[in-house]
Amino acid sequence: MNKNRSKEYDVIIIGGGATGAGTARDCAMRGLSVLLVERHDFATGATGRNHGLLHSGARYAVTDHESAAECIEENMILRKIANHCIEENNGLFLTLPEDDIAFQSQFVDACTSAGISTEIIDPKLALRMEPSANPDIIGAVKVPDGSVDPFRLTMSNALDAKLKGADILTQHEVVDILKDQDRVNGVELFDHAKKEKVKYYGKIVCNAAGIWGHNIARFAGVNINMFPAKGSLLIFGHRVNKMVLNRCRKPANADILVPGDTICLIGTTSERIPIEEIDNMYVSKDDVDVLIREGVKLSPSLATTRILRAYAGVRPLVAADDDPSGRSISRGIVLMDHKERDGLEGFITITGGKLMTYRLMAEEATDLICKKLDVDKKCETANIPLQGSEKSDETLNNVSQKVYSVNGITQKSAKDRHGSLAHKIAKGDENEDSMVCECEGVSIGEVKYAINELHVNNLIDLRRRTRVGMGTCQGELCACRAAGLLCESMEEPGKAKDDLANFLQERWKGMSPIAWGETINEIQFTSWIYEGIYGLKPDNN
Amino acid sequence: MKFDNIIIGGGLSGLTCGIKLAEQGKKCAIVSSGQSAIHFFSGSFDLLGKANGEEVTNPLESMKSLPENHPYKRVGLDKIERLTNDALHLLVRSGLNLNGQADRNHYTLTPMGVMKPTWLTLSDFTSFDQKDSFPWKKAVILNFSGFLDFHTLFIKDGLKKLDVQAQIKTVSMKQFEAIRKNPSEMRSTNIAKEFDKENAIEEFAQKANVLSDGFDVVILPAVFGLFNKTIADKLKEKIEKPVLLLPAIPPSVPGIRTQITLRERFQELGGTYLLGDNVEEGVFENGRLLEIRTNNHGDIKFEADQFILASGSFYSKGIVATHDKLYEPIFGLDIDGDSNREKWFDEKIFNDQAFMHYGVKTDQKFRALMNGEPVENLYVAGSVLGGANPLKEGSGAGISLLTSLHAAEQILK
Repeated sequence: MNKNRSKEYDVIIIGGGATGAGTARDCAMRGLSVLLVERHDFATGATGRNHGLLHSGARYAVTDHESAAECIEENMILRKIANHCIEENNGLFLTLPEDDIAFQSQFVDACTSAGISTEIIDPKLALRMEPSANPDIIGAVKVPDGSVDPFRLTMSNALDAKLKGADILTQHEVVDILKDQDRVNGVELFDHAKKEKVKYYGKIVCNAAGIWGHNIARFAGVNINMFPAKGSLLIFGHRVNKMVLNRCRKPANADILVPGDTICLIGTTSERIPIEEIDNMYVSKDDVDVLIREGVKLSPSLATTRILRAYAGVRPLVAADDDPSGRSISRGIVLMDHKERDGLEGFITITGGKLMTYRLMAEEATDLICKKLDVDKKCETANIPLQGSEKSDETLNNVSQKVYSVNGITQKSAKDRHGSLAHKIAKGDENEDSMVCECEGVSIGEVKYAINELHVNNLIDLRRRTRVGMGTCQGELCACRAAGLLCESMEEPGKAKDDLANFLQERWKGMSPIAWGETINEIQFTSWIYEGIYGLKPDNN
Repeated sequence: MKFDNIIIGGGLSGLTCGIKLAEQGKKCAIVSSGQSAIHFFSGSFDLLGKANGEEVTNPLESMKSLPENHPYKRVGLDKIERLTNDALHLLVRSGLNLNGQADRNHYTLTPMGVMKPTWLTLSDFTSFDQKDSFPWKKAVILNFSGFLDFHTLFIKDGLKKLDVQAQIKTVSMKQFEAIRKNPSEMRSTNIAKEFDKENAIEEFAQKANVLSDGFDVVILPAVFGLFNKTIADKLKEKIEKPVLLLPAIPPSVPGIRTQITLRERFQELGGTYLLGDNVEEGVFENGRLLEIRTNNHGDIKFEADQFILASGSFYSKGIVATHDKLYEPIFGLDIDGDSNREKWFDEKIFNDQAFMHYGVKTDQKFRALMNGEPVENLYVAGSVLGGANPLKEGSGAGISLLTSLHAAEQILK
């Protein structure tokens, strides 16, 4: 990576979520010199810990008109600029016998006024469109919901930013905000790989760290009144539904079932937690039970579908400045110019919002950065496709057929995961086609591409790039194969063994809350292989 | 159909018990649902590798410190030494070549390149007396090109800590071209099948001899001899340097061969081995199990004087967990384990997991309990028994072998 520590960047962006990566892309497209820093890996915070729902905005139509209107506008933009990250599945808002059918007309009216197209569907027809839905439904409304892969979306933004000259540092944690009197002029970072502190300087520092922005602001001596809200979700091992299923009622617990890739997921719960707990995202037994109970109401077959994992994320909710109690909390976008707010120049915070509005958040943040730097260039992110989604003369199928000699599952999977970038998965010889992960169809070639070009530092990063270990076996056999390949690119094989142990621990974190049935069988088998036969230990390998 | 004894489970325990009973003239049947833990066998049978967090040198001695509800303690330490001899002799009579002794652990090298204490090791593999010294100084690690299931760099790293210089080399074989073309076929068993045909071994040995020039030992993945029981020996004859085989990712080639060897022994003794069948239910009367019904045999009931449950742990489906309970799926026997699922786990995967200790409850004679009362003629053996974490202790094979011999002795009394 091209690191120039003596150079002063125009802007340093903190946070490798969708907002940070999107802001980095926007800034780079407007000709600014950009450094993006992230303490772990891309999409490790709230970005990677939600439904992956391409909201139509319908969910907010009744309660929050502004968010609903933002969502549908961004929804249509993402279909254009990020089509390889999106599945255009459409969604249904279902009314169950226990729900008030009168809400449906209120809902449809609110959608219409927010610009969201709706179609009331006869329940019988709705069941033909979506056979997995609860057969007892008394009402259904079709809306333009979809699915979005947040890992892929974030990575595409980061790759695009990099291509346009941005520098990117993952595994670099902000430990201080550097100031010269009342002006922020850089960041001090801890490099987790090298275990050392480094300083970088920039004219503007943009805090896009989501809920962790609370602490970032503290480093700058600024207080932002954040209220973390934890949401838990369950991932099922099969894709039972083809359309997004929602409950047609005011937003409540566990009322959205989203299909994505090979799985589907139900969520969320919502629980306010103390800021001290934001790095400790456990899913409780009660959370799991409520998710299953409500999920089965949307789609009864979930009762007999294997659950793969449970996970939780934190929404970065921000209270109005004149309300320290946090009672009037906004779910909208919050952009703070700390010059105006706190008299601190060179520091801005972009937070609140949703995955759906990341691009808009990035646009608003970049507009402010440009204004401060006196740069007069318009935002183009709504029109120019992301890396992997560009239209070209060749269809995606043509591109990926060049990649693989066999027209197999790896080919289709790679195309789905990397879009038009799939051609970068070099075809060396037939060895490159060999399957590393059989659940998700990941080839050696794809793993090598990810290691070489997609900022992969460890197996967990590799999972986010390629879905290695995300399938039914949760890394039982593929983890070791992938570790072997990653090991080749690491200087220290001992480190690769620790990495493998960490990977298994990370998988277990999501499995333990739902470890019964096949999951408990699987983890027992996995433990026997890695600990029993291989003699893998948790650390100091 | 009527048998003297019916064994539910065709893994190490079930086969051991079946062989022992059949050797004594009993008419036995084994009902096996399919694969078992032997299919990912490391090549060694452990007796006791760790006790109270300490590595064990003399398993027989260290057993004294185990908790009272441990299967070894319940069998009775006075019987254990004799049973370890019986187990070894039974395995040898069945045709397995094994090295090791119960009062002194030896070591084997794992695919992570670390030394692990164990009891009996198949002659395919190499036994070491010491954990911190390696008899060779320069090792060549050979792998087949395109084979992802053998982790040469991890082995090399482990050897470095043992002060051994290792170099990794790859071998291409035209015999593997066909399996390499299919992205998911380059796996241990398919390579082993090619070697089983005996038309690749000569060429491979020649290549290995060239590549091992200047080295003291050749390290290879254990992919030799799936159905062919002599190929591993032939390989060692043809390669001039000492050969050290290490396990690859399961399924284990020597494990499948071991399973076949034991199954053949059982069948040669007149045993009936019902593969791919599941016991659906049992008929009980006055505290006795009278007969069982299986999936494949429908109305044909199987009667026996005694039954042995050797159905394995969770992954073999000997015990089943749902979100609200644990149960034994065939007969609904009593389970020794917590019903609250929050108690089953530790959040750290490498810690001692409570669920690993769970199993079917038995009385002192290893007879299964049902609603608190023993079933007079239903014995329990192997990893479906609770009371130990065989993974943490390194006691899985020992518990299987010794409790199944113990159950057989109860029946033969």
